[in-house]
Amino acid sequence: MKKIRYIALLLLFAFGLMGFHHWFNTPIYFDVPKNWPKPTYNFKENPLTEEGFQLGRKLFYDPILSRDESISCASCHLQQTAFTHVDHDLSHGIDGKIGTRNAPTLQNLAWSTNFMWDGGVNHLDVQAIAPLTSEVEMDENLEHLVQKLQKSKTYPELFQKAFGSRKITGQYLLKALSQFVVSLKSANAKYDRVVMGEEQFTEIEQKGYEIFKKNCASCHQEPLFTNGSFENNGLTLDRSLNDLGRMAITKKSADSLKFKVPTLRNVQFSFPYMHDGRFKSLTEVVKHYNSGIEKSKTLSKFLVKPMNLSERQRTELVAFLKTLSDQEFLFNPRYSFPREKIE
Amino acid sequence: MKDKTLIFLLFISLYASYGQVTADSIRLRFIPEFKNAPLEANKKYISANNDTITIETFRFYLGNIKIGTANNEAENLEKNYHLIDFSDRASMEVAVKSPTQIENSLLQFEIGVDSLQSVSGALSGDLDPMHGMYWAWNSGYINIKLEGTSSSCSTRKNRFQFHIGGYAKPNCALQKLQIPLPNKWETKKELVVRIDLANFFSYINLSTTNSVMIPGKEALALAEIAKQMFKLE
Repeated sequence: MKKIRYIALLLLFAFGLMGFHHWFNTPIYFDVPKNWPKPTYNFKENPLTEEGFQLGRKLFYDPILSRDESISCASCHLQQTAFTHVDHDLSHGIDGKIGTRNAPTLQNLAWSTNFMWDGGVNHLDVQAIAPLTSEVEMDENLEHLVQKLQKSKTYPELFQKAFGSRKITGQYLLKALSQFVVSLKSANAKYDRVVMGEEQFTEIEQKGYEIFKKNCASCHQEPLFTNGSFENNGLTLDRSLNDLGRMAITKKSADSLKFKVPTLRNVQFSFPYMHDGRFKSLTEVVKHYNSGIEKSKTLSKFLVKPMNLSERQRTELVAFLKTLSDQEFLFNPRYSFPREKIE
Repeated sequence: MKDKTLIFLLFISLYASYGQVTADSIRLRFIPEFKNAPLEANKKYISANNDTITIETFRFYLGNIKIGTANNEAENLEKNYHLIDFSDRASMEVAVKSPTQIENSLLQFEIGVDSLQSVSGALSGDLDPMHGMYWAWNSGYINIKLEGTSSSCSTRKNRFQFHIGGYAKPNCALQKLQIPLPNKWETKKELVVRIDLANFFSYINLSTTNSVMIPGKEALALAEIAKQMFKLE
């Protein structure tokens, strides 16, 4: 009878543990910068933990995610350029295949309500499915990827630590990736320090800021420097791509040639610019808004009136845009390739 | 006495960990067919339009299973979604709890995934996006996936591919079915729903309609046609 009692006690303990495996991970508090809006990401459904973040980070930098294990997320999303694909107008993926758009930056995604240049993806957790399965990006299928991870030496253990289960699922894989990318927060540029009263703009930056508020801020709203809307910013249609943007998703002609308003944070380093990477420098971008706008039915109402900025004013505007560069974000070792052994 | 308490606690914890309620249940069985014969993969069939057809993939989401009257007084028997896959026999049987009321009843269920689930990110179980029933570039579930070949399709490898879905208005492809239950159905342990694909292909001109893989008007029309395949035995 003593033996039965012992076994029963042991089993009771074991079942008890199964119910409380979440006790053993380390919660992370997502810090919202002062005066910023409430994040749109629902952290309750995917509570941030150190284990989940580190797993997501490892996955983000691991080419195992692609069909032939040649491409990782970081191939097109480099930290030092605010997680975009530097120097390529159109991003390329597996077998050197070329996509149709410029890889967007990954920053402050906790405040986004939809994803991609056309907003076709409705939740951060399912965003990664697009590049993972695209024939010109990673060309993998989720079921096969989950099998690959399950067979690997390291991953089952890491999923156990993050989610309490050695059995890897598509859901856990996607939630781990979300935990990493949702943590990529840029909120310590010179602009932010000026707003906090810790630093001051130079005279030229201040003038640029005034020009910015008057001409750009309706769409590139502070503090995120985007309002998350879709606009036609007067670019001439590239006939080799015929990309109609948002209309491909909504099927409404009113959405023709509209693309997501991107954030301007770290814009100094996220070249080339626009959905098809057609402009190499900020000077070209400002010139486009100043005198290159092509009128069409769906043109943003904010761009109908020309800006008419002098060359001097354009320089001031660019000087302000450079105050949105956040060195802490671009070089934060916590966001970079996980060199250290992940325990 | 202590031992008894301990063993009682053990059973409680066992029940909590793996507890499966085995109260009264009724089974729904789905049988895909072609012209009243069980559907076989890669077998050649001739449709009513004289198209020669083989089926490779047939999967759909089943949800919101209810039994009750039409005027919204139905009793929900199963909240979870089920992925029914004709290549996986086990997936075609779904056990639901027995309803408490049996008068004037209709069997009700949905084909597809509702908008709430479609905007809730990465879900688990049968709704896990890894099952290949989720769109990458335009978020949302594929409600019905039907793929195969036909010499009538002038596509690559003569393939036809129907990925029917869409959760947002006006292109919501979710289909709600209400099927009258036969007399004395409550004495049965199993309700058999036959799905005759011949019915579907009798409405389709495969030479022109053979590749629908995005939400929209075409997907809506196909969803309406697909709804008519379901018949209660």
